[in-house]
This record gives sequence, C-alpha cells and structure tokens, in this order.
Amino acid sequence: MNKVVVTGLGMISPLGADLASSFEAALAAKSAVRQAPADLCAGLPHVLYAPVTVDPAALLGRAHAGLDRAAQLALLAAQEAMHEAQIDEAQPPEDAGRFGVYAGIGFGGAHTVDALYARYFQALHAAEGSGKHATVMHPLSVPRMMANAAAAAISMRYGLRGASNTYSVACASSAVAAGEAFRAIQHGYLDAAIVVGTEAMLTPGSIVAWNALRVMARPDAADPSASCKPFSLNRNGFVLGEGAAAILLESEARAARRGRKPVAELAGYGCSSDAHHLTAPSVEGQVAAMQQALSGAGLRPDQIQYLNAHGTATDAGDVVEAQSIEAVFGAATSRLAVSSTKAVHGHLIGAGGTAELALSIMAMQRGAIPPTAHLTQADPRCALDFVPLQARHGCDIRAVMSNSFAFGGTNACLIARRTDQ
Amino acid sequence: MLRNLITEYLVSNASVDPALFDQPDLMISDLALDSLTLVEMLFEVEDRFGFQVSDPMQFRTMSFNDMVAAIEQEVRAHHNGEMPDLVLNQAALEGK
Repeated sequence: MNKVVVTGLGMISPLGADLASSFEAALAAKSAVRQAPADLCAGLPHVLYAPVTVDPAALLGRAHAGLDRAAQLALLAAQEAMHEAQIDEAQPPEDAGRFGVYAGIGFGGAHTVDALYARYFQALHAAEGSGKHATVMHPLSVPRMMANAAAAAISMRYGLRGASNTYSVACASSAVAAGEAFRAIQHGYLDAAIVVGTEAMLTPGSIVAWNALRVMARPDAADPSASCKPFSLNRNGFVLGEGAAAILLESEARAARRGRKPVAELAGYGCSSDAHHLTAPSVEGQVAAMQQALSGAGLRPDQIQYLNAHGTATDAGDVVEAQSIEAVFGAATSRLAVSSTKAVHGHLIGAGGTAELALSIMAMQRGAIPPTAHLTQADPRCALDFVPLQARHGCDIRAVMSNSFAFGGTNACLIARRTDQ
Repeated sequence: MLRNLITEYLVSNASVDPALFDQPDLMISDLALDSLTLVEMLFEVEDRFGFQVSDPMQFRTMSFNDMVAAIEQEVRAHHNGEMPDLVLNQAALEGK
C-alpha cells in the first residue's frame, strides 16, 4: 500500500481568510460567533451565527461569479492548498488522469435553493397585475445547486481528470471525503487528490430549519461570542458557521518525485454507521471508527497526543463522545489532550471534517494545541483533559486524531502523524 | 433598449468583442456562444420582462438583428403590443 502525505492545506473560515490566520485565532480562542443580522433570522429572536470574514465572490474573478457561495468558498480553500503545493492552475499536472477531486458538502447550493424559492414565491404573490411570470428562473440554477458543483469547479480550474467525487454525509462529509481519497491513493487508484470540505448555508430558510431542531445555542447574556460551550456544564447547543478547508494528498512517491516536503502523513481512517438513530450518537459506532483509524495507522492509543473532538456542545453529543474516547484510549486517556474548536468557528457541517483535520495538523506542526474556549466548568460526565480556555504551547505532538460524527449515524475518524519519525 | 441590453451582457459576461456588433450581417453563430451562455443571455431579457422566451435554440441559426427582432416581438406579445420602458423596469427591480 502507498503511503499518503499531505503537501498543501487551505482554509477560509469564520476565524480567518486563510489557514494561518484561522489557526492563530483558534489558538487565541478568539471566537467568530455573533448575533445574526435581522434579515437572516426570518423573525426569530436571538439567532447566532459564524460567517466567514471575507466575501468569497469578491476574492474570485468574474469567471466564478455565477457559482453558489459554497463552491466559491471551496475554490478559495483549494487555491491556498494548491498554491502551497506549487500546483499552478495555468498548467495542469502531467498525470492529471491520476489526480482526483474529493469533496464533502452537507447541503448542496443552499444559497441558490433559498434564493430560488424566495424569488419564486415573491413573484407568485406579486404576479397579479404585474404581468410577470413567477416561473422565470436563472438558467444556471440547477448547475449552481447541485451538490457536486464545488468538485466540478475545482476539477475544471486545475485540469484534474481523475475521479471527481462528492460525499454528502452531513457533519462527516469532508472527513469521509478525505478518508476515501486517502484510501484511493493508498490502494493505487490515484496518485494525488485535492480534498475539499465546504458549506455555506447561512440563509433564512436553513436557519429556521435548524432552529426547529432545537439544537442551536442560545446567546450568552454576558458575551454572545461565548455562546457555544463544548463540554461545559452550561452548554446549550451549537452555532451554525460556514467555510471551506482543503487538503492536498499525494502518494509519498509522487511528492518525492516533485521534491515536495510533506506537511504530514495521513495515516489512518475509520468509518462506521450506528444503525441506531437519525440524530442521536452512539458509543459503539464512534469507538468502531476510532479503533479502525488507529489500527489502519498502526498506532496504539498512547501514541496520539492531540484529539480534535467533534464536540458540538449538545448534551447528547458531548457526553457520548467523551465516553467513546475513554473507551478507546483507556489508561492513555489521562495523557491525551482533547479540544473542540467549534466553540470559536461554529459548526461548519460539511466543511468541519477537513477544517478540523487541518487545524489538528497545524497543531502538530507548531507544537501548540488550540483550547476548548469558554470552558470554565466542565460537565462532570465529560472528564477529559479539554485544554480549557488557554492554548498549550511547546508540546511534542507526533500524531493527531480528528473526529467527525454525523446525523444519520455516520462516524468518521482521521489520524495524521509527523513524517520525521 | 433591448439591443443594448443584449450586447452589453454579451460583451461584459461572455467576452464577445464589441466591434462585432458593428457588422450588419452578424450571425449568432459568429458569437461562438455555447448553449448555456445563450440561455443565460436570454435570462437577462426574461428577468426584465417577466416571461420565458419560447425557443432559445431557434436563434442559433439566425442573424443577430433577426434575433433581436424576434425577441422584441415576443416581448410585445406579452405586453399588449407595447415595449415596456426598460429604464423604469430597472428602477422597479432595484427598488425591491
């Protein structure tokens, strides 16, 4: 089997317009959570959100102006990762047929769908007397909203002709995309793949839908930016964010041929299904995913120094994940640093898997662990080392794990390790 | 006017050379538009006048002038024979 290395990373998130600034904000526990503007809240009081810091359309040329926001974010994250790996859009790779695109997205084209329905029903109500038909829609509505629009845009921009696959697995979408790309390279179906996770659904339609599920955090009265409190006794839900993150994977041999020094090795992937409940998590399924990843990487639990938890700040999610981690790590649990960065960047849904893996790889490179923000009093049912409030510096981190657990019962776990060992 | 609306769209969004529109016998096929770009162009008209143009593909073999005339005929058919004022229409759109 081929060893798979990471040679480029990219991110556009609520924490920053690139990976370096996003990681710095995560380390500083600088939260991007805030009160949503009235036009997004559809009349709901107290809606929180975590938007990206820049307008993606403004950063891209006119050629990409017609894409849905999720595809635009994906292009920007991919651009940063490809730039770091010195892959130029003007010159497709010679082995383009062995170079794939693996994307993860929870909801395809949410902005396009929301705007389409809004336009339709507004026009329908205004139609009487106006002589205008409500049925006149932009002809690109379908190619904008299709879930694989981001993968298609990246494939076309960089001339990549290998498999171009999109995984829609709710909150585990891009963790699964990364894992499946990893396997495709490991088993020799591809030599390289750009993995991208993206999500942009901060729209009135999706906010009222999420609100109905009763999982959204209520604003912290003293500090709205501290409203999402994973593993905390007084947590009350998560905050919806948006963003994208990209990870360029290559076989070790391909990276060596190009003279590229890897950022890390992607070493293990596990994936399981709970077959249990539409939204409630299960210890058994999560344990299975983590154990598969460890076994694939050939690592013992005590060889992982940092775990970026799924940690959504819901009661059921946090408690079950803490139990799963203890079940997998056993005696090594006390030496494992665990944090949830969702406290500061919100829940990035389809982008969460790649974003959190990228932050974990940065933590390993820098020897600095981002904290779990806003954690002043941990829930006694979650008794792990959550790196509360303050980042931890000067750490010797050789391997990291990132968990992503999805509605629908899919559990995905990824392990990356340093290449200098 | 209708002709300006279409030429401006093609120049700024489909990279069509503006000098082409000086040719009186310009054919749609000379513009090298793919079918998606053609329907996007028609959407500019449809969005302004509130109806869907009946058969986009008929224009592929027409001259540019004939296409503009055919579209104008459809617009008039949807507006009791009148040509709605584009400027007013634009203001109404932006006011929303």
